[in-house]
Amino acid sequence: MSRAQRTTKSVAKRIDLSYFKRPHPLRTWRFVLSILAPAAGLVWLASYGVARNDYVYSSGKMSPAHAVLAQKCFTCHVSRAASFRESALDRACLSCHDGPIHHSNQTFTPTCASCHVEHRGQLRLASTAEESCTQCHANLDTAGAPTSYARHISAFGAGHPEFAALRPGFSDPGTIKLNHAVHLKAGLKGPHGEPVQLDCEDCHRANQENQSWPYSIAPGSPAGETPKTVAGAVASVSSVNILPPSMNPARAYMGPIFYSRQCAGCHPLLFDKRFAESVPHDKPEVVHIYIEERFRTYIAAHPEELREPVLRIALPTKPVPVSPRIYKTPGEWVDAKVEDAELLLWEKTCKQCHTVLKTNSGLPQIAESRITPRWFQHAMFDHSRHRLVNCESCHTRSRTSQNTSDVLLPGIRICEQCHHAGATGAESRCFECHTYHNWRIQKEVTSHFRLADLVHEDKQGASQQDGSSGAAK
Amino acid sequence: MRIDSSHRKWLIASVVILAVSTGIYIPYAAESPHGPSGASALGLTFGTAGFAFMIFAGLLGARKKVPVWRVGRAQAWMRGHLWLGILSLPLILFHGGFRFGGPLTATLMVLLIIVVLSGIFGAVLQHYVPNVMTSEVPLETIFEQIGHVRGQLLEEADGFVEDVTAPNGPLVVAAAARASATTTEELPAVSEKDVAPLQQFYVREMRPFLQNSGSRSHALRDTAKSIAIFAALRTVLPPEVHQTVRDLEEICEEERQLRRQSRLHHMLHDWLLLHVPLSLALLLLGAIHAVMALRY
Repeated sequence: MSRAQRTTKSVAKRIDLSYFKRPHPLRTWRFVLSILAPAAGLVWLASYGVARNDYVYSSGKMSPAHAVLAQKCFTCHVSRAASFRESALDRACLSCHDGPIHHSNQTFTPTCASCHVEHRGQLRLASTAEESCTQCHANLDTAGAPTSYARHISAFGAGHPEFAALRPGFSDPGTIKLNHAVHLKAGLKGPHGEPVQLDCEDCHRANQENQSWPYSIAPGSPAGETPKTVAGAVASVSSVNILPPSMNPARAYMGPIFYSRQCAGCHPLLFDKRFAESVPHDKPEVVHIYIEERFRTYIAAHPEELREPVLRIALPTKPVPVSPRIYKTPGEWVDAKVEDAELLLWEKTCKQCHTVLKTNSGLPQIAESRITPRWFQHAMFDHSRHRLVNCESCHTRSRTSQNTSDVLLPGIRICEQCHHAGATGAESRCFECHTYHNWRIQKEVTSHFRLADLVHEDKQGASQQDGSSGAAK
Repeated sequence: MRIDSSHRKWLIASVVILAVSTGIYIPYAAESPHGPSGASALGLTFGTAGFAFMIFAGLLGARKKVPVWRVGRAQAWMRGHLWLGILSLPLILFHGGFRFGGPLTATLMVLLIIVVLSGIFGAVLQHYVPNVMTSEVPLETIFEQIGHVRGQLLEEADGFVEDVTAPNGPLVVAAAARASATTTEELPAVSEKDVAPLQQFYVREMRPFLQNSGSRSHALRDTAKSIAIFAALRTVLPPEVHQTVRDLEEICEEERQLRRQSRLHHMLHDWLLLHVPLSLALLLLGAIHAVMALRY
């Protein structure tokens, strides 16, 4: 029969009516894979379970500081008796870290994890959100007496007051008479009489050792004393020298000004034409002993000067003697020379920079210099990280300031030029300058973890069975 | 399933849900102190809604298994499966704040993306391929019968060729009878020599094609080439066997259509081998994630 003669019936007869009884490959494969795929997932999770490793349930990458704990969930997630939940409680954090409170009069204390959010990837945990601070400081309420701090700060650019040192009524408490405008003038005479142009870095540098200062004096000179301040001690820690600049804490703040380092080159403390060296930059008592000793030694070596008539130094406060004077004894000669030298020092040389107070003891008293070593009492600043811009970009009044009382600290508006919200702004969140915890009252915490607990395969199973955790022990 | 005007309500509802969710998410993400988190109230809400949509989409399989359930028409379930399944992806992304998180959550996100994308791919195929099937495969048969029918086509072709080329076949016998003048009846008569080209063509070209043993570039796989081949064949064969040639040509055409149907059928359904198993894995692991997230 030709295909042209085929009927519908004959075509229908080609169908195998039992086809549905045979397994269909597509459906078979779908069924098998539908069993295998979930089973593979379960096996994958079970493999973690067998190893007692809950890392698979982690909600994200740990911060670098806690990366080693990524597979040790129990170190932070504390189990509680009769509870399914295992939260990251403060006591887990406090088992390794101290977290001193912010202020004694704060109205509430946030939990550690509410500010230091983990499982957010490679972030610094200290880089807390602005809201962690503004939840209180946007509408500050305190327990007990009202606070003197600004009460409505919602961001660095919104409500943050001007820095305290720049507020009206505040001035530099320093007593050293320093005129920045004069010091930055062109054509000043240098240590050897040559004209020099001072720059900020000639006097102001971060705390660092082994620097040469252009206007210092040679070591060994009595005026070249070693800095005795705390800042000097920090700079002398030898380990600091091995740190790169970005990690060197000594580079954060400008070092204190020392006469020997910054001033002595141009301002020698000469006391008599017979001597080329300066007196020690020290208390009047020390200076007096030094001068007396120097003259006594000198006259012993030059007894002829007792008989040599010498004109006394002409000063406005003393009349020029009519006739030359001849000294009878070396002691008389020494007393006269010491008196002249001290008159020069107390009335002219020292007074150029210091406030010299008269006393009844004969020797004056030098007023405390009261140089402010750090202007920000509640914030941190790092000069090293701001070396991108020159000094005068921020310290705008330094070239024109004439009075010691001028505070040359840059104002908050200058900071805000770079530190503001938005993609083009430098970090402006609170943590950039402030810390929450009052580290003055921190306590040492001794961790109970052993290295093996953290770096080896999980062994916490036994310790977890009783519902306690490593952190909670 | 074609995506036609019957989907309009689902489409509008999905767009509205997505717009509302986005409208909620953007300020939430912008104002969250530490960025959006799955553990926050809104994050949990997004996660719960997304997972609920996934479960609903997954229930389509159960709905198909029990067609007698009076829980709405299968078409409505299918539309819900499609649109809510798609919606689950942005909701889960909002839940996680577009972060993939740890190993399990990252696996879930990858699974969800694969499942949703494969589902969209399947929906597009199911929208277009049936039309292609209707126009290109008029001789469509039940897919499971394709192998059986192709076997029958081979048998049928063997029969047609046997009829005209076998020594005892009717055409050859008639030719022998006319030669011996034992009958005066007008019968078509061809000699073995006349049909030799047909036999050669069938054995060398057509039968391997029907047996699917020829090369993948076999000339008969192409309709235009096939027409030309059969036209050429007719020129070397006596008119008495042209009907047989036409039958063989039809068989080749049916074979080609069945092959095309098989190809289109695989295109229509093979993506399910990825979509369905991964969907089940996604639902299972998603449930475990929900429980463990509540724990930690």
